[in-house]
Amino acid sequence: MLMHIGDSPEEAAFRDHARTWLAQHAPLHSIDASQWHDDLGGHVNACKEWQHVLYDNGWAGISWPKQFGGRGGTSLQASIFAEEQSKFDVATGSFAVSLGMVGPTLMAHGTPEQHAEFLQPMLRGDHVWCQLFSEPNAGSDLANIGTRAVLDGDTWIVNGQKVWTSFGQFSDYGILLARTEPESPKHKGITYFILDMKSAGIEVRPLVQITGVAHFNEVFLSDVRIPAANVLGQVNSGWAVANTTLTSERAFIGGGGSSWTVEALIETAQKLGRTRDPRVRQKLAAAYARAQTLTYLGYRLRTASSLGLLPGPEMFVMKLAYARHWEKTMDTAMEILGADATLWGEHSIDSGQWQHHLLSQFAIRLGGGTNEIQQNIIGERGLGLPREPSVDRDLPWRELVKG
Amino acid sequence: MNFDLTDEQNVLADLAQQIFHDLSTIERIADVQAGDGFDRQLWNELAKVGLLGLCVPEEYGGLAMNAVELSLVLEKQGKTIAQVPLWSSSVAAMTLAEYANTALQALVLPNICDGTTILSVAIANIGANDAMNPSVVATDTDGGVRLVGSKPAVAYAQYAHFVLVSAKRADGSIVLALVDTDARGVTLNAVNGSDLQPQANMDFDVVVPTSHIVAGATSDGRDALRWMHERSLVALCAIQLGVAQGSIALTAEHVRTRHQFGKPLSAQQAVAVRAADAYITTEAMRVTTLNAAWRLAEGFDARQDVLVAMYWATEGGHSVVLAGQHLHGGVGADISYPVHRFFLWGIQISTQLGGASQHLARLGKLIAAR
Repeated sequence: MLMHIGDSPEEAAFRDHARTWLAQHAPLHSIDASQWHDDLGGHVNACKEWQHVLYDNGWAGISWPKQFGGRGGTSLQASIFAEEQSKFDVATGSFAVSLGMVGPTLMAHGTPEQHAEFLQPMLRGDHVWCQLFSEPNAGSDLANIGTRAVLDGDTWIVNGQKVWTSFGQFSDYGILLARTEPESPKHKGITYFILDMKSAGIEVRPLVQITGVAHFNEVFLSDVRIPAANVLGQVNSGWAVANTTLTSERAFIGGGGSSWTVEALIETAQKLGRTRDPRVRQKLAAAYARAQTLTYLGYRLRTASSLGLLPGPEMFVMKLAYARHWEKTMDTAMEILGADATLWGEHSIDSGQWQHHLLSQFAIRLGGGTNEIQQNIIGERGLGLPREPSVDRDLPWRELVKG
Repeated sequence: MNFDLTDEQNVLADLAQQIFHDLSTIERIADVQAGDGFDRQLWNELAKVGLLGLCVPEEYGGLAMNAVELSLVLEKQGKTIAQVPLWSSSVAAMTLAEYANTALQALVLPNICDGTTILSVAIANIGANDAMNPSVVATDTDGGVRLVGSKPAVAYAQYAHFVLVSAKRADGSIVLALVDTDARGVTLNAVNGSDLQPQANMDFDVVVPTSHIVAGATSDGRDALRWMHERSLVALCAIQLGVAQGSIALTAEHVRTRHQFGKPLSAQQAVAVRAADAYITTEAMRVTTLNAAWRLAEGFDARQDVLVAMYWATEGGHSVVLAGQHLHGGVGADISYPVHRFFLWGIQISTQLGGASQHLARLGKLIAAR
């Protein structure tokens, strides 16, 4: 197929179809932009309501196979729908983990029983899922997790602490990494579990963040029991399963493009009469130029994905470029707002969304692997620089110095 | 949507890569630069495999390809700092194929493919940074158009047989003329460029016959000038992409193999991270350049896309070659080692393209002015 940077006729027809449907249905379910920070529980309910509508109308899981309840479409169609959907004020955020990360992992590594039990309710929006990976002593060094799972008959008993768990307080299920074989090297003794968040022994403590919202949580696990049937993949092979999840996460962060942010900022600047200032226009132009690279890197990733190829280093470039773009663009937004930038929420312009975006940069920089970890990976995979010397790859995890 | 190369495009890029890599070696470039600056051996080889006729129509023996394919080939040239007038001759050939009358095409284009006729484009202007406002003055006379004025730093002009020259009439209309470099009233002064490649300043007081007016003989040739200029700019972006890659490749090799404190330089994170940032920037240059080339090839309005590609080629390209030079430490200061050539050509292209703040000023007007 010839290079074509934009919709093919079939894709354009699909976009029209999606746009028409969205124009009819999305306005009936639109939410206020401030709901995200004022009423997170209400936001989760709005997400469920909208996901039900998508499911009932055949728009849920556009690229998921029909056998799993999806539409059986292409990944390009899924991206097109997401782009069109982003132009409406509908709630989708609390399903980022389930639909973006857990679903692809379950489809790749799950048993038929697990597929049957979890995928359809996930698509319908019945269940919120959270990710129980990071720990106080295992962030960038994720393979160093210390949460233990010990087999007792046909049940695993889990003890430990997780952190940075988005939507943990609203979740029905979680994906959990726990150490099951401390005698093996750190990457080899980990198992990937599906955890019912209603199980006894789970305590979720919300963490109020700099944005004023508590979408992160600490999760404490005390003698939590997980049936052996809820292991995803093989026991002690959880690292490979986790990599499927992390790949999906990186592709998700920044994958939606970010030209909408720049367009919205230009509108705000025009509304405030700031675009008469050539210096402001230059900063908006720089934001536009950055957003273009994200769009086209996204197109490259989508092309690779639609051809069934594994993404190249573009994926790591994308995540990092997105985080940097966000940071710089929100600095520009503060300059454009001027004195209004010092106000908060409803007292400021655009319901305070720019201040909120500015403060959410920290979650973006760290989520999906820190900017610095992405740089290390780019050095290794993009430039062929030798891996960081790591003394701990082959030693039993039990012998490593912790924290 | 398919943002990937076709098999044919990949074959073309591989062919170009092989030729530039095999022939434009570090030793060869040093020899060429010590001589007259033009690698004719490489030029002849490019002719043999058809790459000189890349953008020449099939009826004149060429491959009739477009801005995307030209970008792919120029990227490979940039990677090896090869000293041939490929971008300027190819863009001139494309412009003639698009706008010149059939007789002029038949006169000039057949000899492009075998390398015996060399073309160039004069894209810079004395005292003006706006390509659409050329400083050479055009006046209609009997049998043609008289051009009076100068063009600075025309790529490989001293080896070119014809140069495409833009000029402006008193009424503001634009003329695009194919000037014979041997014509009476055309003076060339070879000048040293910071990129160590041949170029010449040109002075004109010459009457160009109507047969050699490519656009604007009886009307305004503005569209043709913009067409040529946008393709010139994207061609330079494509070379810059290759220059950046060449610089990074040398740099990665250096920091991987040079040991200090008993370990490779790249084991220092400050070094590895700077190299990684250069890689990220190069990917931004790649996608924006390919996008701009594709939009030009499709005939779409590409004003914003060309400016975005230029922004990355200037701002980004500059930062990449600077990192490459810096990470080589003292080795980079020794001109028997090749990395300085990437720095010099990278800086030259940044300047030729006009500097990042100028691109942002123009782009800002397009996207945000009200």
